[in-house]
Amino acid sequence: MFEKPTSHGTYMPPAEGQPVQSIEMLMSNTETIPGQSIIQMLGVVTGSTVRAKHIGKDILAGFKNIVGGELKGYTELLQEARAQALQRLVMEANSRGANAIVNIRFATSAIAGGAAELMAYGTAVVVG
Amino acid sequence: MRQDEADLILSIGLSLLVAVGPLLFSWIFGNIYQKKKQEELGVRVKAFGTDNLTTLKTPPAQVSASGLLSANIIMSVSWWQKLVGGLKTIFGGQVETWDRVLAWARKEALQRLREQARAKGFDNVINVRLDTSEIQSSKGRNTAIEILAYGTGIKT
Repeated sequence: MFEKPTSHGTYMPPAEGQPVQSIEMLMSNTETIPGQSIIQMLGVVTGSTVRAKHIGKDILAGFKNIVGGELKGYTELLQEARAQALQRLVMEANSRGANAIVNIRFATSAIAGGAAELMAYGTAVVVG
Repeated sequence: MRQDEADLILSIGLSLLVAVGPLLFSWIFGNIYQKKKQEELGVRVKAFGTDNLTTLKTPPAQVSASGLLSANIIMSVSWWQKLVGGLKTIFGGQVETWDRVLAWARKEALQRLREQARAKGFDNVINVRLDTSEIQSSKGRNTAIEILAYGTGIKT
């Protein structure tokens, strides 16, 4: 899910038509970054994306439904979408001058048939 | 007279085949396919050894590095399972077919998280959370379930 991690605990957002910006951001879904302490809180940051499926994948998934089991096309699609939501989260935290995001949560909601919103949110902090 | 009867039986047979055939196909091949995949997962879980996941928030030891990890899977029930499950909802009670598929999906998502943690060199994953959501196809006829497992990988 996380493209090209520069080292453990850091995250480089995947380039998507934009100039590559490597942002070093520590991320965790616990209340602190393990082994470090929070110096400053910078508020809640969110990142979200709405994705719809490709019609070809939809048709393939329809066939897969005959036997059940994993729908690989969708698994990958949502993985990419979630990576983008995280990328936006990282961008926002970065613009606030944070070097870490703690207590990250994921939320998914179905907007309309065939489209889903994926959201990631957390607290931007400065750790040291 | 004879010819008429033969035609009637043939046409009834054909229409039965068209109606029940796909379901029968789904039942037989769905069972074979899902059993095979579940066995493969069982082998992977066994081969992995000690579990490195925990739902606790505090790391068990001194931490040198950490990072967010997540793994997901989208699972759907077969036509046959959907039909049986749909019939079951009329009477209520345990819906075994959906039950089994969901348990399988969750097990698979957790196993992917374990393997991802190991591949990235983390010793443990703390604060593991499981999230379930519904994904619908554009016509809203087929419903699939997404299971997301995420946590914080730590290096001790």
